Amino acid sequence: MSIIKLINIDKTYNPDTIPVHALSDLNLEFKQGEFTAIVGPSGCGKTTLLNIIGGLDQPTSGKVIIDGTDLSTLDRGQLIDFRLQNIGFVFQDYSLLPVLTARENTEFIMQLQKQPKKKIKERVVTLLREVGLEDKLNVYPTKLSGGQQQRVAVARALASKPKFVLADEPTANLDSHSTSDLLDIMLKLNREENITFIFSTHDQRVIDKARRIIMLEDGKIAKPELVKQEVI
Amino acid sequence: MIVSISWRNVWRNKLRSFVIIMAITVGLVGGVFTVAVYNGMSEQKLRTAIDTQTAHLQIHARGFQKNKDIRLYIKQPENILSAIQEQQDVEGVATRLIATGMAATSTSNAGVQLNGIIPEQERRVSTIYQFVREGDYFESGKKNQILISSKTAKKLKLKLRSKVIITLQDINGQIVGAAFRVGGIFKTTHSLFDEGNVFVKKQDLERVLGAGSTINEIALRMKSIGQVEKLLQNFESKFDDQELDIQSWREIQPELAYINDATWQINFLILIIILLALAFGILNTMLMAIFERVKEIGVLMAVGMNRFKIFTMIVLETVFLSLTGAFVGLGVSALLVRKTNSSGINLSRFTEGLESWGLGNVIYPQLEAHFYLNIAAMVVVTALLSSIYPALKALKLNPVDAIHG
Repeated sequence: MSIIKLINIDKTYNPDTIPVHALSDLNLEFKQGEFTAIVGPSGCGKTTLLNIIGGLDQPTSGKVIIDGTDLSTLDRGQLIDFRLQNIGFVFQDYSLLPVLTARENTEFIMQLQKQPKKKIKERVVTLLREVGLEDKLNVYPTKLSGGQQQRVAVARALASKPKFVLADEPTANLDSHSTSDLLDIMLKLNREENITFIFSTHDQRVIDKARRIIMLEDGKIAKPELVKQEVI
Repeated sequence: MIVSISWRNVWRNKLRSFVIIMAITVGLVGGVFTVAVYNGMSEQKLRTAIDTQTAHLQIHARGFQKNKDIRLYIKQPENILSAIQEQQDVEGVATRLIATGMAATSTSNAGVQLNGIIPEQERRVSTIYQFVREGDYFESGKKNQILISSKTAKKLKLKLRSKVIITLQDINGQIVGAAFRVGGIFKTTHSLFDEGNVFVKKQDLERVLGAGSTINEIALRMKSIGQVEKLLQNFESKFDDQELDIQSWREIQPELAYINDATWQINFLILIIILLALAFGILNTMLMAIFERVKEIGVLMAVGMNRFKIFTMIVLETVFLSLTGAFVGLGVSALLVRKTNSSGINLSRFTEGLESWGLGNVIYPQLEAHFYLNIAAMVVVTALLSSIYPALKALKLNPVDAIHG
């Protein structure tokens, strides 16, 4: 069953001046547990697509339906709450709060969800152990490497038990070793917790590990999708 | 967590926070110290006036204050004095005979108010005896001694034991004269008062005026200034049927009461001006902090931090920043006020100007403890007001634009 449905999505920037068509008549569905890479050249609409799926941006026309909820029916406040309860985000530059430790960054989202303290503590420790940072719980982001910061970001994205995680170029700033580690961790979490991961990426290493690859070009799906049976 | 994030955000850019904390500190120290000096001056002026001139309460025959006519004396003063004796809150009472006249020497003359006093009584009501610079306060026991101010002494070229002729109207309206000898020279901190007043023993003045035992002023000193109004109302109703003017220091010197009442308004105004200036500094700092963290705020919105929490975070950050400055500023101010309150600020270079205002040349700044709490509360209000615009600015951010710059 699809948890994300994109129906006839168009996105045009500057419609009244110099229109730029970022996405055109896009129809897509994502199922629970997918590990999907959205690929394509710069400016093809990957980030716009992720923003629209994540409710950060609105399509010019078309509908985004997530687990039965049409995002266009939600106001700004409801969208924020919807994202909090349903979507995890991983950003290219990690975007951790520099004033919080790895543990605090991870538990922050759960606190916003008003989850019980005991549950927060247990899950945060579990997640940071899973991403290999159990010894960095009380370390501030500035004292962590890029790879470690991105692993904290993944733990943060997963802390709230989202329906899916959107990752915008998550490996762009990482070396190959850190990229490999991060992908292994995400794949493991994808398998064990059945969390849907959707990436935008240029990175061949990510593409190689994705089970579904969607190629965009000029805001449209450029080629037939590639769906792999097994992760290599 | 929001509280923790806000507090830690204050210290992210230490230099910027330090600069605004210093600005708040300097502003508050300046403002608080100015207020403390003004309070000290106001309090000193009030205390000096009550101690040397008005006492807390005065009772006269009706019309005496206007005309200074010695024939307007208090009838049956013993009833009033026995009523005063019953009052627990009265610290001292002095009966006076007051007349106006001319003091003359071979070289000069001056109009003066002769205050006929009973020194033993007067010591419990007035502190004039503490201002005697030369001679004594009627302690020699000699007849026709006069206590004059150094200003009058200079004007009339008088020294200790010099003779001065006093001319005045007696109880029958006849001009009479008497020779007095300077037994003491005083100098208060109020030059105008010094210029116009001389003191003699009441019995000496009574003899000159042929007045017998006459009282035209009863002055009262209370244990506390706060008890004056209550006693005033009590006496006004008690002696309603007698032809008396019963006045508190407020009515005797209304300009003094006005200064006293206006002090808190002036203090408030000074602080408002300083806090207003600080508000712009705080506003600027917070705007810089917000513009520096646009992306971070976008991320917070993206991951699910709602508008109320973002607003709260920025408001708290502003309050913490301002309160840190207030804490330092008020601490330094308290130390400064405490130090100068015990040592005093010597303004002897401005003695003449200060004395014409009824002030001594050493000012003792003072502030009550609750004033510091009021300022802290005002700083919080200033911080809250200063945070609104930056917080609203943050709320207007679109997460997509903020994240992608």
